[in-house]
Amino acid sequence: MSSNENLLALLGHRTSGQSIRTQNVNAAAAIANVVKSSLGPVGLDKMLVDDIGDVTVTNDGATILKLLEVEHPAGKILVELAQLQDEEVGDGTTSVVILAAELLKAADELVKQKIHPTTVINGYRLACKEAVRYIQDNLAFTVADVDRQSILRVAQTSMSSKLIGSESEFFSEMCVEAAELVKVTESNKVVYPIQAINVLKAHGRSTQESRLIHGYALNCTRAAEGMPRKITNAKVAVLDMNLQKAKMHLGISVKVADPEKLEAIRREEIEITKRQIQKILDAGANVIFTTGGIDDLCLKQFIEAGAMAVRRCRKVDLKRIAKATGATLTASLATLEGEEAYETSFLGHAEEVVQERISDEELILIKGPKARTAASIILRGPNDTMLDEMERSIHDALCVVKRVLESKKLVVGGGAVESAINVYLENFSTSLASREQLPVAEFANALLVIPKVLASNAAQDATQLVAKLRAFHNKSQHEKASAHLKYAGLDLINGEIIDNKEAGVFEPLVSKIKSLKFATEAAITILRCDDLIKLDKIDRKPDEHDECH
Amino acid sequence: MLQGGIRNQSNIIVLSANTTRESGSRVQLANINAAKCVADVIRTSLGPRAMLKMLMDPMGGIVMTNDGNAILREITVKHPAAKSIIEIARTQDEETGDGTTSVIVLAGEVMVEAQQFLEQSIHPTVIIQAYRMALDDMIRWVEDKYSKPIDVKNEEELAVAVKSCLSTKMMSLHMDLAVKISLDAVRSISVDKAGYHEIDIKRYCRIEKIPGGEIDDSRVIKGVVLNKDIVHPKMKRRIENPRVILLDCSLEYKKGESQTALEIMREDDFSKILEQEETEIRRQCDEIIQLKPDLVITEKGISDMAQHFLVRAGITALRRLKKTDNNRLARVTGATICHDTKDLTEEDVGTKANLYEITKIGDEYFTFITSEESTAVTIVLRGPSKDIINEVERNLQDAVNCVRNVLLNPRVVPGGGAIEMALANAITEKSKSVEGVRQWPYAAIARALEVIPRTLIQNCGGSTIRQMTALRAKHATDESNWTWGVNGVTGELVDMKELNIWDPLTVRLQVLKTAIETSVMLLRIDDIVSGTKKMSDVNNK
Repeated sequence: MSSNENLLALLGHRTSGQSIRTQNVNAAAAIANVVKSSLGPVGLDKMLVDDIGDVTVTNDGATILKLLEVEHPAGKILVELAQLQDEEVGDGTTSVVILAAELLKAADELVKQKIHPTTVINGYRLACKEAVRYIQDNLAFTVADVDRQSILRVAQTSMSSKLIGSESEFFSEMCVEAAELVKVTESNKVVYPIQAINVLKAHGRSTQESRLIHGYALNCTRAAEGMPRKITNAKVAVLDMNLQKAKMHLGISVKVADPEKLEAIRREEIEITKRQIQKILDAGANVIFTTGGIDDLCLKQFIEAGAMAVRRCRKVDLKRIAKATGATLTASLATLEGEEAYETSFLGHAEEVVQERISDEELILIKGPKARTAASIILRGPNDTMLDEMERSIHDALCVVKRVLESKKLVVGGGAVESAINVYLENFSTSLASREQLPVAEFANALLVIPKVLASNAAQDATQLVAKLRAFHNKSQHEKASAHLKYAGLDLINGEIIDNKEAGVFEPLVSKIKSLKFATEAAITILRCDDLIKLDKIDRKPDEHDECH
Repeated sequence: MLQGGIRNQSNIIVLSANTTRESGSRVQLANINAAKCVADVIRTSLGPRAMLKMLMDPMGGIVMTNDGNAILREITVKHPAAKSIIEIARTQDEETGDGTTSVIVLAGEVMVEAQQFLEQSIHPTVIIQAYRMALDDMIRWVEDKYSKPIDVKNEEELAVAVKSCLSTKMMSLHMDLAVKISLDAVRSISVDKAGYHEIDIKRYCRIEKIPGGEIDDSRVIKGVVLNKDIVHPKMKRRIENPRVILLDCSLEYKKGESQTALEIMREDDFSKILEQEETEIRRQCDEIIQLKPDLVITEKGISDMAQHFLVRAGITALRRLKKTDNNRLARVTGATICHDTKDLTEEDVGTKANLYEITKIGDEYFTFITSEESTAVTIVLRGPSKDIINEVERNLQDAVNCVRNVLLNPRVVPGGGAIEMALANAITEKSKSVEGVRQWPYAAIARALEVIPRTLIQNCGGSTIRQMTALRAKHATDESNWTWGVNGVTGELVDMKELNIWDPLTVRLQVLKTAIETSVMLLRIDDIVSGTKKMSDVNNK
């Protein structure tokens, strides 16, 4: 673009200085704009259509951004930010993106006023630290173990913005119960491995007929019709191997001179597998799951033994089943002595394994596993698009439930925390006598974007509501008598300021803090750039020699 | 067109250039229109005066049907919302087998009703809440008030439900036959074992289509019908009370799985190999012959040599069956499917079959293996042309599913739009007590429900406005008139108790649930972005 263009050895464009900063900020704002309207309980959904016409309907920020083909590098950072929030916290993906974009916008203004980006960055860091401290000290509160109601409320808050918002009571019960079912105490530490909750989708019926199953549901059927449908007091063998005719590895061929031997080889191939199965059955197994195949010739053996065999299960499922029933996932029957054996100790136990028909599909349910409780959620709904979205919402809700159950710390939602920090940081900034004063104040302002977007999505007067909200928080922070006002938040249906602690709009503390930190970090990363070099794509002309003639 | 959402001095491309994005009320209106369009396509195939649609697929084949699902399956639509709507027909079909047209028509109407509220700037979430509320109320009312239990033991009461299901179909001309077929079929395959009530239509009720003859020649065979002939002309074509062996292995000389090579050094080694192959087959056959079966059926092949041995022993053999057919045969004959002839025992032999017979129908041979107590059935359909038989098949499938639904949930609701009118009336009443803005969208559901009786009147050429007003009055004046609906043939108002049209509760309930839940999902959308990445691509990364 300028005279130094020729000095670069590579072909490409270089943009630097203020223009790149503005460009980045604009890109971030564009990304935030895409997801903005899906924030909050009255936010709406997006329909995403891919090249072949498959439809995804979603309200989840991370999913929306994941499916968009974002080309701008700064935009990509925000997309990754949403992904990070999704992995770390599971919920709050939309708000983190909006917040980051707003922080960038404010920073851009400051830099235009000739404040050096590093000063802005320092100010942001300081503000973020101060905000986190304030949330932890003043805004968070602990829930008692028994306070199930609050935990339900957290799940409901997470779901309120989603498609299943109107049934949040029903689904929150389901999520909390599921999370409690998979609770594990490991060396004094209670953890809730929610990935152990298997979420299955079957279309048909209505969303209200979704079910929580105490046990593990597996989307497979018995290998043969002759096997029993239901086995009580099941002894489960979990295998990761083929129960098919033994076969030499590719490339190995057996040479025999005596034709009699040939037949013997063939017999032996079958016999090897049969012996293996016999060993497993002898160990007492009556339910066999395997990731591999089971040859038809072996099915009869299982049928005769009255055992249920399920082939081609997914390995993830089997790992969880093994954990739940206390079985060992066995990849081979070989022992150290070179013999083959299957020991009774490898078996897992469950009260009942049954194949049930749900909609047009049949599922295998493992009920009452011995070692660990398991849970599965079967979602029902009118079509696949909706089921996918329900699954995402359930996942988000499960994540927040897990967070709360593990940390027991909550903050109130509905823009309350953001406004409180806004008021606090503004006061804090006036106490700073350095250059950081301005960025801290801007940080405080940027936080207001959350209540503003919430209000404008609900078609309420954002300016007035936010002003009111700030006034409440200001009062609570300055007058001891009205400290309870710190829980004031927005009621978006009626357009009023209410006490959100009473209304039961809760979010986990971890999620709030993490989203604040992530947003700040992402903004800083983008802010630090002052140069963008974009290389031209090199069109490699096909070499003539390579072409086929 | 969106290029990054912002257009300022330096046109920054944030999203990929081939992405298009639409947002705001335009999307909502477009979604509503899409739903309406789909509903309009099949509106005329609702009710007893329904017309068939003839569809031509890209390959040039034709489908003639009035089954909502079958019609929409063949249509290629571009609009994403229309796709979702079409999908619900499939859900309805899989879940209940009937009511596919109603669900689409109702979903379309529910969406259309929402349009006026969107134009009045009522927030979609408010509309959705009202719709949800209406759905909950309706489900409760239908289950408590507007349905009646029937006695599943009573053939006549069951037949009523099947009749009302079939009356809208082509098979209505052969009503008694179709009712008999579907009742017989479902009764036979329904089994109770260990507290588990199983009616597995997919596996044990097969429909075999044989073009030729008349529709009236169709019947239910208690057993299995195979489009197969014996492998050897000397084998028998009719055996009474046959002893049956089912195999899923081939009666041929098999190669091993491992790669083997044989080096022949001497001349007599070669003949030894051949001899060995022969003895191997001989052994297999001997193992079968030992059990003295009359009939051997396998999923795989039977070599000429094996055929020879079997014929000599007076055994009839059939080969190359489908796995599903073999499973059904296992249920008919009581035999266990065996993989290896070595494992055969006396218990594996099936003796429950009464008759094995091969008859020639038209140009082809068909094997019938039947048993009086069979729990697997085959419905043999006859008809003048393939397209007609295909439609008859769809009709019967609906009817069979209808029977299953009633058996599993023995409650019925009045047909002919009566249940919809009763609900509409109840909703209108209740809406007066609903607080706030939600009142209007709540009441709108009542208007949407009226689409069913209205379409019924329209399709038989009645005077829509006059009859609808009369019907509405009928329901409003007296609660006990809840069974009044439309006679779909004449367009007159009639009490369903007299006309005796009752639909299974499951079907109508599923129609309501699916239609409203889908509309709820579509109404929540305010943004359509097309040209995004594929979900599978994203997950693979």
